[in-house]
Amino acid sequence: MLKTDISRFHNLLEQQHYIADESIATALFLAEALRKPLLVEGPAGVGKTEIAKVLASALDTDLIRLQCYEGLDVHSAMYEWDYQRQLLHLKLDEGSGKTTEERSASIFGEEFLFKRPLLQAITHDRAPVLLIDELDRADEEFESFLLELLSEWQITIPEIGTIKAGHQPYTVITSNRTRDLSDAVRRRCLYLWIDYPDFDKELAIVKGKVKGIEEGLASEICRFMELVREQKLEKTPGVAETLDWARALAALHHHHLDAAIIEQTLGLVFKNWTDTQQVKESLADFLERLGVRSKFS
Amino acid sequence: MDDLGHHGELSANMVGFGRLLRKHGVKVGPGEEHDALRALNLIDLSLAESFRHSIRTTLAKSKTEQEIFDQYFDSYWNVWDRAMEMNRPGTEEESRDTPGREKSGKHSTPGLQHWLSGNSDTSGEQEAAGYSPLLVKTRRDFQAFEKDELQEVVRIIRALGKRLASRLSRRRVPSSKPRTIDLRRTLRLGMRHGGEWMELAHKKRRTQKLNLVLLCDVSRSMDLYNQFLLLFLLAFQRAFHRMETFVFSTSLHRVTETLQSNNIEEVLTRLSEEIPVWSGGTRIGASLDSFVETYGPAVLDRNTVVMIMSDGWDTGEVDRLESALKEIRKRSRSIIWLNPLMGSPDYQPETRGMKAALPYLDILAPVHNIESLRRLGRELINLQR
Repeated sequence: MLKTDISRFHNLLEQQHYIADESIATALFLAEALRKPLLVEGPAGVGKTEIAKVLASALDTDLIRLQCYEGLDVHSAMYEWDYQRQLLHLKLDEGSGKTTEERSASIFGEEFLFKRPLLQAITHDRAPVLLIDELDRADEEFESFLLELLSEWQITIPEIGTIKAGHQPYTVITSNRTRDLSDAVRRRCLYLWIDYPDFDKELAIVKGKVKGIEEGLASEICRFMELVREQKLEKTPGVAETLDWARALAALHHHHLDAAIIEQTLGLVFKNWTDTQQVKESLADFLERLGVRSKFS
Repeated sequence: MDDLGHHGELSANMVGFGRLLRKHGVKVGPGEEHDALRALNLIDLSLAESFRHSIRTTLAKSKTEQEIFDQYFDSYWNVWDRAMEMNRPGTEEESRDTPGREKSGKHSTPGLQHWLSGNSDTSGEQEAAGYSPLLVKTRRDFQAFEKDELQEVVRIIRALGKRLASRLSRRRVPSSKPRTIDLRRTLRLGMRHGGEWMELAHKKRRTQKLNLVLLCDVSRSMDLYNQFLLLFLLAFQRAFHRMETFVFSTSLHRVTETLQSNNIEEVLTRLSEEIPVWSGGTRIGASLDSFVETYGPAVLDRNTVVMIMSDGWDTGEVDRLESALKEIRKRSRSIIWLNPLMGSPDYQPETRGMKAALPYLDILAPVHNIESLRRLGRELINLQR
């Protein structure tokens, strides 16, 4: 039977400050129940990776993470031979009188194998949560290999043979949508879209993660972020940036936002010169809409 | 309610809902419908939103599909609910044609999207049937087509783009840059020298895909050509690792995000909304300059091909154009300039803009008909070697 019912997901999500997020809880629940991979898409910095952590926590199992990047090839994701040890072993074996065949065979044991995330996930002692992070950064070739893995759940190492998964991992795939993933991957997975949080959600997250922050400041920060996200920016800031900013402002013991403070700390929120300029120009407008107290009142 | 009866009707209605979604561009297949039904078996349906969330996560596989799902969910399932009460299976929402996608948009082009949404078969691609009678069409200038023929042209272009892109993946050749050591081969090679390793064998590495940067002149004269080029590139973009798209007239705008959708109609609609109609000619130099400054560091590298689509009518300063091109050339793999005017046999690059640009271009090509798009595709494939 299922390890969890949906309420367990609700509780865990709440701990991560995803308030009343029925869609996420349902998706996680079905990922477990239907044993299908879950594709989580959304802008950068909204907490997609956290979803995988919640799943691992709910299922009381380990999280194995594969970080994708441009140029990631199938091998580095699966395994790599420890060449140095192998060569050393062979050198030491030299005088032993073994044939080349025997020597070759002796260096392809598990002790010479670096297990990378995918192989780790397959050979784990219980079903882990396999997080394939930012799949959009890898290429199509990798995607098709991944698809095969997601159906067959086995890996072939030429020197050793085929290794089948002892326990099928629960898979979470995330994408920042810098490129469109193939249809084949999409249809294979359950789908979840995570957007920037609305004011209430973000406020809950800030209050939860920045201990001791004042209600007033937190509200102003979230309201500001709401306004910022209405703009068309090159790199719209995510929740991570909100939290960085909130922590900094709290640490500096500010109680309210004003023009000077914002200008000084813009770099924490905007990671792009064009965006910073654009916000600076609209600052007066923002502040007005924010109803921010001027520091002279 | 009799359980079996209920389930029987639920399945039937899931199929009906699937059909409705497919009609509006969501690729729902029997696999997805099956998943949705399985999900409903497991979920506690007394929770109001559970029903919607569970079938949404199993049927809608992208943000766009979710939006379409949301649009039709309520009306469909409420009808069903009411019908259940009246003890009859619900009827699916009959052909309610795609609600007014014809936003007037700021760019009032006759619009490829108009033809696309008018007679769309958004369900799946149809390969261009009977190619040979159309051979004549491949040489005809886009502007020379009748409105009713454009539908066909669109289909051909999309098929062409996809075909070429897949040809590319089969052709990729291992690069000579050394990578990981191939131990087995090293050992074998060592045998030649009595067991000593004189040479290391390396595993060959597949080539990396190139990136594409597209800069489109969207002044009035460029309309139709731009659209067909975009159509082609959208179908062809799998051949690239990343495609960044910009439009310019008197200034430059990045539209890459707008192009990120498999749905052509949507892309063209959104583009026409986003691109304001500029009057007063094109300042190519200033736009390219601004591109280099603002986006250069982020998108220009040795693996990037820059494609500029413009007829070269420049009302700005020519030196800026030259210096921008020089900079781009330095930092990227090659520059391709596409000029629809080149379609005419007696064209000479006479405009100041074109003349100034010429020395910096690797390829200057026409883009006025299907044949030119095909050649462009092949050229792009060759660049990947």
